[in-house]
Amino acid sequence: MGKRRPASIFFTSVLLIVLYFTLFPYPLGKELVAKPAWAVAVIAGSSNNPQASPSVQGSSGQEAAVPEATAPGAFPFGLADSFGYVGPDGTLLSIGQRLFQVTLSRTGYINYARMGTDWIMRDPRGEQIASFSGNGYPLLSADGRRVLIVNSDLTGVQELDKNGDAEWSRDFPAILTSVSLQDDYLLVGLLDGTLQLLNKHGAPIYQAPPGQSRIPVTYGCAVAPDGSFIASVSGIDPQVLTVLGRNGSSYERTLRLRLPTDYRREVRMGFSPDSRYLFYEGADAVGLVEPDAGRLLPITLPGWLAGSAFLGESRVAAFAARDGQRVNLRLVSPFLAPVSSESFPAGDLFLGDIDGQLLLGVDGRLVRVDVEAL
Amino acid sequence: MMRLHCALRAVPALLALLLAAVPFAHGLDWPVDRKIIIGTFGEDKGSHFFDGLDLGGGQQEVRAVLPGELVFRYDEAEDYSSIPRGLGSCVVLHHEGKIETISSNLKKGSLGPVRAAYAAGETVGLSGDTGSSDGIHLHFSLYDEETASFLNPLSLLPPAAGTQMPVIKTVLLSAGDTATPLDNGATVPAGKAQIIAQAYDLRQDLRFLWPLGLYAVRLDLDGKEVARMVFDSLQVTDGQLRLGGIKLTHDKVYTSDGLLSCGTVELRPGTSHLTLSVRDFAGNETTKEISFTVRE
Repeated sequence: MGKRRPASIFFTSVLLIVLYFTLFPYPLGKELVAKPAWAVAVIAGSSNNPQASPSVQGSSGQEAAVPEATAPGAFPFGLADSFGYVGPDGTLLSIGQRLFQVTLSRTGYINYARMGTDWIMRDPRGEQIASFSGNGYPLLSADGRRVLIVNSDLTGVQELDKNGDAEWSRDFPAILTSVSLQDDYLLVGLLDGTLQLLNKHGAPIYQAPPGQSRIPVTYGCAVAPDGSFIASVSGIDPQVLTVLGRNGSSYERTLRLRLPTDYRREVRMGFSPDSRYLFYEGADAVGLVEPDAGRLLPITLPGWLAGSAFLGESRVAAFAARDGQRVNLRLVSPFLAPVSSESFPAGDLFLGDIDGQLLLGVDGRLVRVDVEAL
Repeated sequence: MMRLHCALRAVPALLALLLAAVPFAHGLDWPVDRKIIIGTFGEDKGSHFFDGLDLGGGQQEVRAVLPGELVFRYDEAEDYSSIPRGLGSCVVLHHEGKIETISSNLKKGSLGPVRAAYAAGETVGLSGDTGSSDGIHLHFSLYDEETASFLNPLSLLPPAAGTQMPVIKTVLLSAGDTATPLDNGATVPAGKAQIIAQAYDLRQDLRFLWPLGLYAVRLDLDGKEVARMVFDSLQVTDGQLRLGGIKLTHDKVYTSDGLLSCGTVELRPGTSHLTLSVRDFAGNETTKEISFTVRE
């Protein structure tokens, strides 16, 4: 009798486990596969598209726009010194060469020189939309509706209205180390370790004090597009990831994670367009956080994080890290299953979204990679 | 009178500046060998004050002015940035006494390997022309964490030689939308008016005009101090960077043409005597005295 009892416990346990997984199956999701749809060469001042019209020289003498009448969408890319817009079918709408830097948005861009106070904003085809003046460098929001000027000392920001006049301006008590700009919010991280969240009129919404690290410096910051969460990587000894969730008119800490990193430079971080996920750069890894659910998924990714993109309402997240002369690429379905893992030699790199799919730029070529469920 | 009150309020800020200087009392040294000052603290930068010191002299080694710890760096050649960095390649060192030094516009790729500790005099990079720069130089700033202020490096570095006298080129009287030159023997209307001046310091190494900012400005009317500005610190209050102590914003210190707003005076009928004194960082002082008549 004494020997039969463990056997019954074993079989009962197995039965319960089988029953549990039958009644409460773990959602593994559909199998996802990634396959290239098209590839185009990107060389500033020329087009590989045989159907495209001849290049049109921009007024600055640097941009070359290629008008394409039937393009249903325009997706920005920046690859080494080249930038431009591509349609979902691979049609190059425009290609240009950076003067000093270029700030890109879905609806237009500003290509600006190292010195200067006057800029021209152009649409994806290279046509002039507006001109602005100001002291500093311009920064566009993702949708191109917000134009900020960050002063050259990194101590202040002003937002311009449609007429190019200053709508508001604000100085900060220490130099800016990072910013996160959304349609309705601007989050700035400062050298003194504080965060300041401003609304679209420049009014302060929330200020997060410096953390308890030995030296409080903000190394990265991100605000969710809907303003539901703000996050930062900050501090030396320890370096800390902090996520704050909106609670009424204020924000409360929802996550504080001591990191093993010791960055002394800006780190990449950001939220998915649907505000659901946060990613942050780690040591040979990317951290993926779902703040609402309190979940964290570390993704091994050797090298420095060099690009990121969320595709198709966060169905897939893409991350690429540079590791010497190679690039490591990970496609993951957040908190479900890894989709793809690739490693290839590359000099220049770009990751972006194109119609819910991955726009991958590598060494002068753009590739659309479709991620599909089988 | 308001300016006088403002000047009195400057006392605590000056004390704070002196206290901030205590940790540097022994050993703070220039970050470069060739100390060619080409831009000074508090200068007009179009929409904001200049928060540091620009040093020319061609490409040269930039050194830590005190022992410190690297807390932030950006190399235009390789590092990611979420913002357009007008400071270009830069190194921020944290020093004892909660002071930070920011060396900017460094040469692309010249930043040393990432390491935490720097001894005084160790090279942090080479002066360059990254970021918003039209020539090789070092942009050097001092930040006091305790008071959240940018401090004038020239107040704390060993004295720089300077023999050229600062210049007061023109003095204007502005009331309403009009500004008229204020010269000896002029007759002006009574009432409140603003005194505006084209005043600047001169670069020591050049014979042609390269205006630099001043260290102090004082305005007296009929023997009484009306206003005083000292460019020793900048601090943010209510979202605006202000000149330490008197808390004036950039648009109160400079006109849209870049002229110096020296102060507001109340002119009463009779003969008046105005004295404008400007001082540079080497201690050279220039004074302009103007006697004029105020009509009813």
